[in-house]
Amino acid sequence: MPEAEKKKSDNQERRVGVFVCHCGLNIGGVVDCKAVAEYAARLPDVVYAVDNLYTCSDPGQAQIKDAIAEHKLNRVVVASCTPRLHEPTFRATVAAAGLNPYLFEMANIREHCSWVHLHEKDGATEKAKDLIRMAVSRSRLLTPQTEIKVPVTRRALVLGGGVAGIQSALDLADSGYEVYLIERSASIGGRMAQIDKTFPTMDCSICILAPKMSEVGRHPNIHLMTLSELESVEGYVGNFKARVRRLARFVTNECTSCGDCVAECPQLTPDDFNAGLSTRRAIFIPFAQAVPSSYLIDMSLCLNKEGIIACDKCYQACQHHCIDYNQQDEILNLEVGTIIVATGMDVYDPTPLTEFGYRKFPNVLTSLEFERLINAGGPSGGNLIRPSDGGRPKRVAFLQCIGSRSYRSNVYCSSICCMNTIKDVLLIKEHWPETEVSVHYIDIRAYGKGFEELFRRARMEGVLFIRGLPGEIIEDYKTRNLTLIGEDTLQGEIYKKEVDMVILSVGLEPRQDSEAIQRLLNLSCAADGFFLEAHPKLRPVDTPVYGVFLAGCAEGPKDIKESVTQASAAASRANILMSAGEVTVEAITASVNPDRCMGCGLCEPVCPFKSIRLEGEGKERKAFIIEASCQGCGTCAAECQFGAIDMKHFNDQQILAQIDAATEKEPEKLVVAFCCNWCSYAGADFAGVSRMQYPTPVRIIRTMCSGRVSTRFIAEAFVKGAAAVLVSGCHPADCHYIDANLQTEKRVNKLWKRMEKAGLDPKRLQLAWISAAEGNRFAEKISEMNEIIQKVTPAEIQTSREFFRPKKKE
Amino acid sequence: MAKDVWKFVAPEHLYYCYECSRCTGSCPAAMVMDTPGPRRLLIKCLHEGPQAVIQEESLWFCTICHVCEDRCPQEIHITDLLTALMNLASRKGNVPERVKAAVETIARTGRSVVTYRVDEERLRLGLKPLGRIDTHELEIIAARTGLLEKKSS
Repeated sequence: MPEAEKKKSDNQERRVGVFVCHCGLNIGGVVDCKAVAEYAARLPDVVYAVDNLYTCSDPGQAQIKDAIAEHKLNRVVVASCTPRLHEPTFRATVAAAGLNPYLFEMANIREHCSWVHLHEKDGATEKAKDLIRMAVSRSRLLTPQTEIKVPVTRRALVLGGGVAGIQSALDLADSGYEVYLIERSASIGGRMAQIDKTFPTMDCSICILAPKMSEVGRHPNIHLMTLSELESVEGYVGNFKARVRRLARFVTNECTSCGDCVAECPQLTPDDFNAGLSTRRAIFIPFAQAVPSSYLIDMSLCLNKEGIIACDKCYQACQHHCIDYNQQDEILNLEVGTIIVATGMDVYDPTPLTEFGYRKFPNVLTSLEFERLINAGGPSGGNLIRPSDGGRPKRVAFLQCIGSRSYRSNVYCSSICCMNTIKDVLLIKEHWPETEVSVHYIDIRAYGKGFEELFRRARMEGVLFIRGLPGEIIEDYKTRNLTLIGEDTLQGEIYKKEVDMVILSVGLEPRQDSEAIQRLLNLSCAADGFFLEAHPKLRPVDTPVYGVFLAGCAEGPKDIKESVTQASAAASRANILMSAGEVTVEAITASVNPDRCMGCGLCEPVCPFKSIRLEGEGKERKAFIIEASCQGCGTCAAECQFGAIDMKHFNDQQILAQIDAATEKEPEKLVVAFCCNWCSYAGADFAGVSRMQYPTPVRIIRTMCSGRVSTRFIAEAFVKGAAAVLVSGCHPADCHYIDANLQTEKRVNKLWKRMEKAGLDPKRLQLAWISAAEGNRFAEKISEMNEIIQKVTPAEIQTSREFFRPKKKE
Repeated sequence: MAKDVWKFVAPEHLYYCYECSRCTGSCPAAMVMDTPGPRRLLIKCLHEGPQAVIQEESLWFCTICHVCEDRCPQEIHITDLLTALMNLASRKGNVPERVKAAVETIARTGRSVVTYRVDEERLRLGLKPLGRIDTHELEIIAARTGLLEKKSS
């Protein structure tokens, strides 16, 4: 923004317009929007205030535009839903009316008010007034900002080579972008390659997957990297720098996969691909259709460790001399514009459920083991056999919801196991119709296209569906037959059922190492451990990190069709960014006022992105901010003792104005809460969306990071007479700004000590780590703090007012 | 009175039950006795209230072995519920005759089974008879809790 224009807007008279949204009955049903709008009209500098049914609708937006023109508004406040939902919408609206989008402000009276105070209409209306007063006083101090545009590298990185990753990579490669497809294991294919048939069509899984796999292998735009792991990621949307470690394969590209080497290898280990039901050698190919179609050596098993050649049998057997025991890991530095996370899932291990005897009774298998058993390429060549004696089971029972829908394992429904079992029973009936098959279930969820028809087919085949899971399984140690004891809840009868084989239909879990990916990419995880999407309905494949997308089971349990759908969606979202070629980033960065900077250097170490440099000597020593890498957490501004750092759009004056406005009425009955944009504010939103009710006396102030919350803000709230202050941010390891919230913790710790010394109850200042998925935690915290503020006496409030009052040093 | 039950298990917690019936499938009493089993007692308690369940004699088949609770996927405190229900039933005087008889045997003899045959066998083997146990305190407890009607002795 040119300096002259800035001056002009600074000197201008403030003309604020307030628009109070009913959101149908969502807000209007609880908050008296008319009264709120009338109240807003009397606030300082407000020249226009109105309530309407849906501000986000076209007529609603038109009303804003008209009002800007008619009333010469130069600040706009919309009181409606969370800014995380419609701030971009309204910014675009005011921009279309010729106003700088950063002169727009939102008051969240839906997620933070009407939805969480459904039964306290008066309290909610008063709170809405307060929230609007806070927004208006902040808006008066807003200044225009200019967004910068950054170029987007037209290359994509896809993490994970399962069916989702394959689909995303192919879609992007076909659109003409260069794609790096990174897979940790030795071949792409993922879980789908392990499965025998797919539901509901009963297609052969590998038969439909293999063509796609080889297409990936030969696509000119795809750089396929197997045995590769992501080590670090830096940068931001459009400009990610990924470091990838490609593990040594010890077999060169010339391998023709003839298999001569395998016969010579002396080392044996259980074969992961066959779920441990067969063995493989130290030199092996994961499976027949593997891409790349090349052998590799498992060095943890091979006798040639640490450069000592103890055995060279495979080398001797290989006619093409493709074996190289000295191959080293490679480090690759990739520059990409977008990242698609398709890291997949793990399968639940039912060993802890001891009553079912998995790993104790040989004839108790998991559904994944069953898939390998019944697969023609599997250890038994597709013959259904009992592991105990190799005989064909005559009676087979399936147990549903193992490791799903339970507080003893995972609480969510894994969504695929019902149909997977129905497919499995049909496979048994197809090959060996005389087999007695029973399915023990709690609910059968056949919700998709063609699913109910398949379920009916299974019943027509004479499969017994028994409602009620057995309490336990008992094994006859001689015959190795299994007896299920349980209750058929529909008949109300106890059954004791002897079968030859039991299949535990196990659920899906987040990958064990998904935390590592979460840290590397700064993603969020939901309570169940799967990656969190930016919005559960409208941005289902985006992540909160701009430029990173989700596909497949990394986001939650889903079947192949859904994974492929989502993979294509993710590819198309990434395509939008890359085809545009540039992207605008929010103008929320720090800047230093050199007149105030004393060059003390306190800000430099707290910057998580190393974006602050100190330059000059002596009195000329000043902090200097590298704007391109500043992410805008504001930790430096909170640390600065001289008010020299200006955090654009979240500067001290704006936040102090909000605190003052919040504490204008009855502050002794209030909690002033500072919530970080990414986790806690979103967590409070989630409490709203889930209609978790909590007490009204809390006023939330949004900051980008909890690291922005300076001691001065907390002090200000207490000086103004607030009963309690809540500072909340992301869980320490999940901070959107790497570790900026550790500074928050330090600051709050110091204040606690000071408060304790002064005889103040440190409970009146609380620090809480609340993630975007922890709405209940937020609601509980507020209820807990409400109890605390009930006990705070006027005398205590007076003491804290005195104690926190800034002492005049100068 | 029902409050006494909800003190131990919140009724909301019972709503977690999706009737997988792993409790009844695990119940050793349900294997050998004609009883509705923990699932149906729990559901009855939820639908008709504790008052209805304490009428059920089969409530007393529970051996408080905690297996149902251990295996409940929803971690419902089933045994706590059944114990609370039995306490309520006993306070209401709703204790089946055979339970009363068992309590009386314990309170009077200190043992849960009658032992005169054991003593005969011990005599034959040349062992000392088991002898009497001081049951004074047991009798007081039984009387105070209302399990044993005071006999005019």
